[in-house]
Amino acid sequence: MPVDDVLEFLRDVSPFQDLDEATLRDIAGGISMEYFPKGSTILHQDGPASEYLRIIRKGNVKVFIRSGKDDEVMIDLRSEGDSFGFLSLVSGDKSRANVVAIDDTVCYLIGRDAILRLLEHYPVFAEYFLVSFLNKYIDKTYKEIHKRSLLYGGGDRLLFTTPVGEIATKGVITASQAVSIREASEVMSKNEISSLVLTDASGVPAGIITDRDLRDKVVSKGRDLSDRISTIMSISLIKAEARDYCFEALLKMVRYNVHHLLIIDNGRLKGVITDHDLMLLQGTSPISVAREIESQPAIDGLIVASRKTTKLIDLLLREGARASNITRIISEINDRLLRKVIEITEKKLGPPPLGYCWIVFGSEGRQEQTFKTDQDNAIIYANPGDDKKAEDAKRYFSALTLLVRDGLLKCGFPPCPADYMASNPQWCQPISKWKKYFSDWINEPTPEAVLKSLIFFDFRPVYGDAGLASDLRDYLTGAIEGRKLFLGYMANTIINNMPPIGFFKNFIVEKTGEHKDEFDLKVKGIAPLVDAVRLFALERGVRETSTLERIRELRERHTMVKDYAEELEHAFEFIMLLRIHHQFEEIVSGKAPDNFINPSKLSNLEKRTIKDAFHLISKIQGLVIERYKPMIW
Amino acid sequence: MVRTAALLNFRKRKESPAEEDLPLNRARYVVIDTELTGLDEKKDSIVSMAAIRMTGGAIDLENIFTRVVNPASSLSAESVVIHGITPSETAGKPSIEDALSEFARFCRDDLLVGHCVSIDLTFINKEMKRAFGSGLGNPALDTSAIYAWIVKRSPEKAFPRSFSGSGLYEIASYFGIPVSGAHDAVMDAFITAQVFQRFIPILIERGVEDVGDLLRIGHPSRGGENGRLSGEMYGL
Repeated sequence: MPVDDVLEFLRDVSPFQDLDEATLRDIAGGISMEYFPKGSTILHQDGPASEYLRIIRKGNVKVFIRSGKDDEVMIDLRSEGDSFGFLSLVSGDKSRANVVAIDDTVCYLIGRDAILRLLEHYPVFAEYFLVSFLNKYIDKTYKEIHKRSLLYGGGDRLLFTTPVGEIATKGVITASQAVSIREASEVMSKNEISSLVLTDASGVPAGIITDRDLRDKVVSKGRDLSDRISTIMSISLIKAEARDYCFEALLKMVRYNVHHLLIIDNGRLKGVITDHDLMLLQGTSPISVAREIESQPAIDGLIVASRKTTKLIDLLLREGARASNITRIISEINDRLLRKVIEITEKKLGPPPLGYCWIVFGSEGRQEQTFKTDQDNAIIYANPGDDKKAEDAKRYFSALTLLVRDGLLKCGFPPCPADYMASNPQWCQPISKWKKYFSDWINEPTPEAVLKSLIFFDFRPVYGDAGLASDLRDYLTGAIEGRKLFLGYMANTIINNMPPIGFFKNFIVEKTGEHKDEFDLKVKGIAPLVDAVRLFALERGVRETSTLERIRELRERHTMVKDYAEELEHAFEFIMLLRIHHQFEEIVSGKAPDNFINPSKLSNLEKRTIKDAFHLISKIQGLVIERYKPMIW
Repeated sequence: MVRTAALLNFRKRKESPAEEDLPLNRARYVVIDTELTGLDEKKDSIVSMAAIRMTGGAIDLENIFTRVVNPASSLSAESVVIHGITPSETAGKPSIEDALSEFARFCRDDLLVGHCVSIDLTFINKEMKRAFGSGLGNPALDTSAIYAWIVKRSPEKAFPRSFSGSGLYEIASYFGIPVSGAHDAVMDAFITAQVFQRFIPILIERGVEDVGDLLRIGHPSRGGENGRLSGEMYGL
């Protein structure tokens, strides 16, 4: 029976695996099944509440929020066994994010009633979902890292460690329940609050009124504003103690289906907390940083906003986000910062004489930045028709790029030591010149040309006419196709960095110097993996620049990648997370972040995992050598 | 029995124009499959039947209809090999009449969907006419006909075209649908439901809007009457 498939599947999926057989059978029996082709939107941000919890049976979805007209903030990628739609389901509120199928996706649907029953009877179930909708789905290895981290002992999680009193709105504004609806709403709008506590004659809270009540019970019903507020206030006052943890508050909201709780401290009303406050405590905070950047009219304001990135990483690490999600969110934030700097500069200089595209490359191009990284950027502009246009362009873009460079510097992005920046006239060129650069490197793969290719070929547009970047990408793909010699040179370069692991699976560390007993995770671990994947991507004309997306794209198109795709993704995620944690701890203790890891300080599980990862990278390098054997020397 | 007859009369209403306006992803479907003792309409009969409800693209796993029935004709050795239902298993099972009236009730007024469904309907209606004097009036859709329609409007290599049998399993595999437990009426209906589920977005993308359009495309007469025997039905 099809239900048996469902049962079998649920038995391996958290938190269903913790339920007893009879309950599981009951759940499985009420499930329906939906299919969403790649690209279709399953939930719409601000759309109607989800009526089901959807568990992904097969496929992948991305969860993202749109904050402006073209702005997407990536929240999470979810895959088989993950679920979505939980929060809007239990709150009955509009959906908070867009969920789009990024592959053909099959979901199991569980109805609201069944979920509410489970929440009520199984505390484990409730806790799991409260954790998981915060993007805290982490596998054992990740957990281990988080647990071990110096800063966050014992699986620290915000929802479970922050007392609700800390984030409640303090200094509650109250009004008498005898006032009219009009008076009450005036108090609310004057004080810019979304809820108002109403008291009886002796000052004891008697009810609460929220924006939602005004909308649902007054405006849409055409009610008379001179009616007493007590006629529409909600008298189910649900209280929480200030010392309760946030997740307990959230549970109460879910259980009583309310959006506000009164926070009581020592028997006295201390504040009000809304589900929105709890939301801000969690995953949506990247948005507030993004909004803050968006609203700055000048560079000075951006400096302040950009400092919050470190805080944001702190939050994401605490929430147990995957490395790829952290780096993507950082990329999004840094992209916005860069766009804003350019926008402000353009405003100062007036409109450009020609269309152009601001591109970034290196780790920025791959969306794999961790903390503030060197500026790696360039400008491609449209071919100027005549000499005068060419002169205008040179003058304008040289002024623009210098100002942008300095603006980014102020925001904490150091200049590139190799001067791979748009402010270097060599890297601020019309598209024809860029094509010439690329074809020269490919035709004459000198060591220097290959090194440049490794950096520049990861380019990605950030601002301006993305069509120029796309044109250049097309050109590159065409120019590189079948150029075995160039690819051979590239292969030859990238196999020089080998994972620091010896014949007996021991770690190879620096013997002397500043980094004695350590190895360079970036050069010896990340670079070889990124380089090998780039090589395969260039062989197959894959347009994506991020390593994980390249792997996904290559899975179907490259025999070497096919067998290892999943392992490669895990290895990459793990190494990146190790790196982010390492750098974060350095930053917090006031050091400049580096990439040197001392293996003896890793836990056994981490050691084993990283050895496996290095072993895999060696294997991939072996395949590269095999493939380009005649050209390897 | 009286109740069943009333039900069947009620169903004669069939295919009202209002239903034809219903968009594909809102219509109610019942995906059916039967296992037979053989394909000879005169000699063979139904061994088991299954039906699964869909609302738009959502497959309802809660109320799955499945009955192994006591066949009128004896189970032939070959058919035992195909479905693995042995005569001892069908002994003591409900009679075909009971199974059919429950089946008709389960299907309500909804659109029936099946792979090469005309075969299933031939046998179902034969037994119903014999038992109650009239067959099912529900409009029906053949997924093999829908598939042929999609293939014809796609680039040459986009979909597989030649199959050894009805193509149900090949089509399912092509869409990444697991085909374990095949040749059991429930699993075949489930596979068919998933195949149909995949068709819906493709059809919508190609401008098929409502049930009326769907009935024209997927009419059983356009599908594989003999699909279970030959692979010549995709118009190739």
